[in-house]
Amino acid sequence: MDIATMIFNGISTSSILLLTALGLAITFGLMRVINMAHGEFIMIGAYTTYVVQDIFSKNLPESFFDLYYIVSLFVSFGVAFLIGVILERLVISRLYGREIDSLLATWGVSLVLQQAARSIFGAQPVNVKAPSFLQGSIGGTTSFSYVRLFIIFVMVICLLGIWLLMYKTSFGARMRATMQNRSMAQCLGINTKVMDCVTFGIGSGLAGIAGCSISLLFSIDSTLGTKYIVDTFMVVVLGGVGKLIGTFTGAGVIGISNITLETLTSASIAKFLVLILVIVFLQWKPQGLFAIKSRSLDE
Amino acid sequence: MLKISGLDSYYGDSKIINDLTLNVPKGKIVALIGRNGVGKSTTLKSIMGLTKTPKGSIKFDGYEMIKCKPYERAKLGIGYVPQGRDIFPQMTVEENLKLGLTIKGGKAKIPDNVISLFPVISKFALRKGGDLSGGQQQQLAIARALASEPKLLILDEPTEGIQPSIIEDIGYAIKKINEWTGISILIVEQYLDFVLDVADEFYLMDKGEIIMSGSTENADKEEIQSKMSV
Repeated sequence: MDIATMIFNGISTSSILLLTALGLAITFGLMRVINMAHGEFIMIGAYTTYVVQDIFSKNLPESFFDLYYIVSLFVSFGVAFLIGVILERLVISRLYGREIDSLLATWGVSLVLQQAARSIFGAQPVNVKAPSFLQGSIGGTTSFSYVRLFIIFVMVICLLGIWLLMYKTSFGARMRATMQNRSMAQCLGINTKVMDCVTFGIGSGLAGIAGCSISLLFSIDSTLGTKYIVDTFMVVVLGGVGKLIGTFTGAGVIGISNITLETLTSASIAKFLVLILVIVFLQWKPQGLFAIKSRSLDE
Repeated sequence: MLKISGLDSYYGDSKIINDLTLNVPKGKIVALIGRNGVGKSTTLKSIMGLTKTPKGSIKFDGYEMIKCKPYERAKLGIGYVPQGRDIFPQMTVEENLKLGLTIKGGKAKIPDNVISLFPVISKFALRKGGDLSGGQQQQLAIARALASEPKLLILDEPTEGIQPSIIEDIGYAIKKINEWTGISILIVEQYLDFVLDVADEFYLMDKGEIIMSGSTENADKEEIQSKMSV
């Protein structure tokens, strides 16, 4: 494998990691909910894409088929957002500040969602067909597939969108205020319950978009989420909980070192080595790459 | 403006305040004084709705708000500066201030008189709130509470741990904002000289009950002092 391919694969892997971890950076990083059902929201996004594709191919003329993917990007956000909001109202909202309980409860939820997917869609994996404009690749000996380039593009849009929302809007300021100091936020007139609910919904919706994106690469089954849950937590924790820039860097570090080590050794050894590296790093810096420093937290 | 009557307040399972009655007349500055741990802060938290208040009445502008959520109370026009100030440490000074405008919504601006009272704030607009000194944080917290032009401002020990020159500034700011806007102010304090100078009326609290009250003009400072000492 030449260097250009290796770098491209590294960036591609990192962008998939970042896309799948972005939602968790919000639900876990910002809200401190140990959300074990995060992977299942990725799965929900992927299955939503499959359903939208199905509806398009059955009800609309062939020439409209390619549009299905654009539509499903939005629909998968919407569906995951809604299910996230329902989950927050029913379960998570009762468990704020009780991290271990929320871990158990969301793990339970993840099992329920997986079984629900098996009951609805069957145990056999299903596939999504990439729209024609994403088939193929550019480049000669080192080729970059359109699908992977597109995922990098979606990742950049999501990252930018979330950054703008969180740091450049008054809604984002209210959201961060709620997460930093709930009772003070209330005393300033912020309805923190609504904030919690919407924030969790946005985190879940982002996972839905991630699911929609990776459905182009892999087949979809009920265990899709479990493949990502460890990696996404690793990204958020390595980056430093509560920092968007941390999640970005964490995904980059893990993705690129994964591919590099994979080239030098083998896929399973690489996974093992990355895990060891992350563990050693966290022993040295338990707060992650970007720790939050502030006078008030030093007290 | 604010009428509390027969109020009990609980922190967890323990009863902190017993049958409290307290009035803050419109446009007046009222001080609530007392030793540590007698329930002063809990009184303020009860007004904001941050404690359990199963019995009693809190009327704001004639409106019964004992059942209201904290954010609804803020919307009625109450600005709160808690003990410890509760600045959002990872947000800039400007963002902290703008959060004070939440209930105004949209394109509301920080009132000019607030900015003029606290010049230090515009100077540090882009710093992180957590990087300010205690006195600066206190001024920011007061400015944030005043940003939405509330009808009632409640302050919890604004002089605690703050150097004398800034205490003077804060005292001046409190008097001025009251004079300019006619805002009612309820202030919890242990620093007697400061608070008797700033306030029009006082309540002295001990063990969750009011044991003395009156106007600060004719207040016998020595009597208050003796009742406050252990």
